[in-house]
Amino acid sequence: MKKLVTTLVVLLIIVVIFVLLGPFYIVEQGEQAVVTRFGKIVTTNTEPGLKFKIPVIDNVVKYSKKILSWDGDAQRVPTAENQFIWVDATARWKIANPQKFYEAVSTLEQGWARLDDVIDSTIRTVITSNNLREAVRNTNIINELEATTEILQQQDEEVDEEELRELTQTEKSYETVNRGREELSQEMFKLAAELTPDYGIELVDIIIRQIRYSDDLTESVYSRMIKERNQIAEAYRSYGQGKKAEWLGKLENERKTILSEAYQESEGIRGEADAEATQIYASAYEQDPEFFEFWRSIESYRKTMPQFTKTITTDMDYFKYLYNEEGTAE
Amino acid sequence: MSERDVSPPGLPFSIKPKFIVTVVIIVVVIAVVMSSFFVVDQTEQAVVLRFGKVNRIVGPGLQFKVPLGIEKNYNVATQRVQKMEFGFRTQQAGINTAYSGADFPEESIMLTGDLNIIDVEWIIQYRISEPVDWLFNVEFREQTLRDISQSIINQLVGDRAILNVIGSERTSIEQQGQDKMQERFDDYGLGVTVTTVKLRNIVPPRGEVQDAFEDVNRAVQDMNRFINEGKEAYNQEIPKARGQAQQLIQEAQGYAAERVNNSEGDVARFVSVLDQYELSPEVTRTRLYIETLEALFQQKEGTELIDRGLENFIPFKGLPTAQGGTQ
Repeated sequence: MKKLVTTLVVLLIIVVIFVLLGPFYIVEQGEQAVVTRFGKIVTTNTEPGLKFKIPVIDNVVKYSKKILSWDGDAQRVPTAENQFIWVDATARWKIANPQKFYEAVSTLEQGWARLDDVIDSTIRTVITSNNLREAVRNTNIINELEATTEILQQQDEEVDEEELRELTQTEKSYETVNRGREELSQEMFKLAAELTPDYGIELVDIIIRQIRYSDDLTESVYSRMIKERNQIAEAYRSYGQGKKAEWLGKLENERKTILSEAYQESEGIRGEADAEATQIYASAYEQDPEFFEFWRSIESYRKTMPQFTKTITTDMDYFKYLYNEEGTAE
Repeated sequence: MSERDVSPPGLPFSIKPKFIVTVVIIVVVIAVVMSSFFVVDQTEQAVVLRFGKVNRIVGPGLQFKVPLGIEKNYNVATQRVQKMEFGFRTQQAGINTAYSGADFPEESIMLTGDLNIIDVEWIIQYRISEPVDWLFNVEFREQTLRDISQSIINQLVGDRAILNVIGSERTSIEQQGQDKMQERFDDYGLGVTVTTVKLRNIVPPRGEVQDAFEDVNRAVQDMNRFINEGKEAYNQEIPKARGQAQQLIQEAQGYAAERVNNSEGDVARFVSVLDQYELSPEVTRTRLYIETLEALFQQKEGTELIDRGLENFIPFKGLPTAQGGTQ
C-alpha cells in the first residue's frame, strides 16, 4: 500500500515537471512567439494554438501581436517662424517581424526607447520646417465658417448686426494652410516608418495629440486675447452709447418737430379764424359805416367806461335836459 | 473530511493509503468540475479560447468550458455603455455629482485655429461591439481610446476660430468627432462603437482671460442697456410731445371756433339792429345813446358829476387818473 502512495506522488511530480517544462505551449490569440534553441532562433509562431517544443532546451519568448501604443513626452519645438510650442504626439505600432524584433530590440521597453529616438526626431524635423498654422489647423474650414459674435444670441432689432460684426471681428480671413495637421502627421509617419522595419516594428500611425504654446508664449497670447476682448467689449459699449445718443438726438429732433409743427398749424388755424372773423365783421359793417362807428363806440363805452374813475361834467348831450326842457344850452 | 485524516498528537493512528487516494481523487474531480463552469453576466459576453485560439462566443448564464487550461474564457462587458472623461473627472456620480477640483490642462488646453487658447472638456461614451476584436487587436485599449479621442478633438478645435468653438460649431465638433473617432477605431479593429461624443465646458483659460471674455458679454448687456435707456428717454418724451401738439392744435381750433362764432354773433346783432335803425335812424340812434349812458351811469360809486359852468376846474385827484375822467 505504501508503495502505491509513493508511486502516485512520484507520478504527480513528473507530470507537473513535464507540464511546466513540457513540450507544449499555447500561443494565444493576439500573441506571437519566438522559439530559441541555445540562443538561436529556430522558429516563430504567429498563429494561435497549441505548439510543441523540445523541453528544457527550447526557450519561448512571447510578444504581443496586437497594436501597441507609444506615448512620448511632449516636446518643446520651434516652428518655422520660430515660435516655441509643445507638441505631444502618440503613435501606434506593431511587432511585425518578431524575429527581427527579438534580434534588434528584444523587449517592449527597448522597443519604446527605440521609437522615442525615431519619432521624437521626426516630429522635430517636421514641425521645425512648417509654420505654426500648418500644425494647428488641418483644413481651411475656418474661412468658410461664419464668424460668431456674442451678439447673435441676444439681439435686438435695434442692433445693426453687420455694423457690429465689422466692429468686433478681429480677423476676417485667416491665412490658408497648405498641408494641415493630418498631412504633417502623415509626413512624420512616413519619415519614421522608413526606419522602424530595422527593428521589426511596423508603425501604424503617428498622430499629434496636443499642441500647446510654450509657457512664455502662453502669457503673451493671454494678454493678446485679453486685449482683443477688451477692444471688442469697448466696441459694444461704445456702439450702445452711440445708439443711445442717436435716440436722444432723435428725441430732440422729433419733439421739436412735433411741437413746432403743431405751433405752425395752430397759428394757421387762428389766423384763418381771425381772417374769417374780420371778413364777417367787415362785410356786415360795410353796410353802414357811419352807424357802425356809432354802434361800436357805444358798445365799447359800455365795456370800458366802468373801469375808469370818472369825473363827468354835465356838458354832455345826455345831461342837456338837466338845464331846460328844450335841451338847449343856457 | 480532512479532520479524520489528522491524528491527534501522541495518539498513534494508522492512515489507510486507500483512503488518501480516494480523497485526492475526489479533490481533483471537484477542482476539475468547478473549473469547467463559469458565469457570464447579463451585461457580458464571453470569448472562449481553446488552446489560445478563439473557439466560440457565449452569452449570459452558466457556461461550460473544457478545464485544465485547455479552454479559457474572457468575459467582456459588451452591453455596458462606458464613459471616458477628458479635462475633468467625476469624483462621485449621484444626484449631486461631485467633480474633482483638479485640472487636467494636458488634456483640455488646446489651440484654436485663430491661435487662441481654450479649455475644452468633453466625454465619450462607447460600447464594446466586437468582443474578439476588443480582446485581441489592440494592446493598450484604454490608452488608445484616450489618445485618439484627444487628438481628434484637438484637431477639430484647431481648425476653428475660438468663438465658433464656443458657440456655433459645438455640435458639428461633436458629430465630426464621433465620426472620426469611429473611423480610427475601426481602422485599428478596436471593436468599439462610439455612441456619444459630448463637449462639456468650453471656456477660455481661467483667470484674466476668462474675465475678459465675460466682460464682452457684459458689454453686450451694457450696449443693450444703453440702447434701452435711449429708447426710454425717447418714449418718455415723444408721446407726450405728440399730445402737447394735439393740445396746441385743439386750442387753436377752439380759438378759431370762438372767434368766428363771436364775430358771427356780433354781426348778427349788429345787422338786426341796423335793420331797425334804417327804419328810423334818428330815434334809434338817440335811444341807443341814452340807453348806453344810462347803463353806464347806473354804477353805484366812483363817478362824480360836475356842472358844466364850473370854470377852471382842476381835478384834485392824482394826475394819472385825471385825464380818463374828463370829457
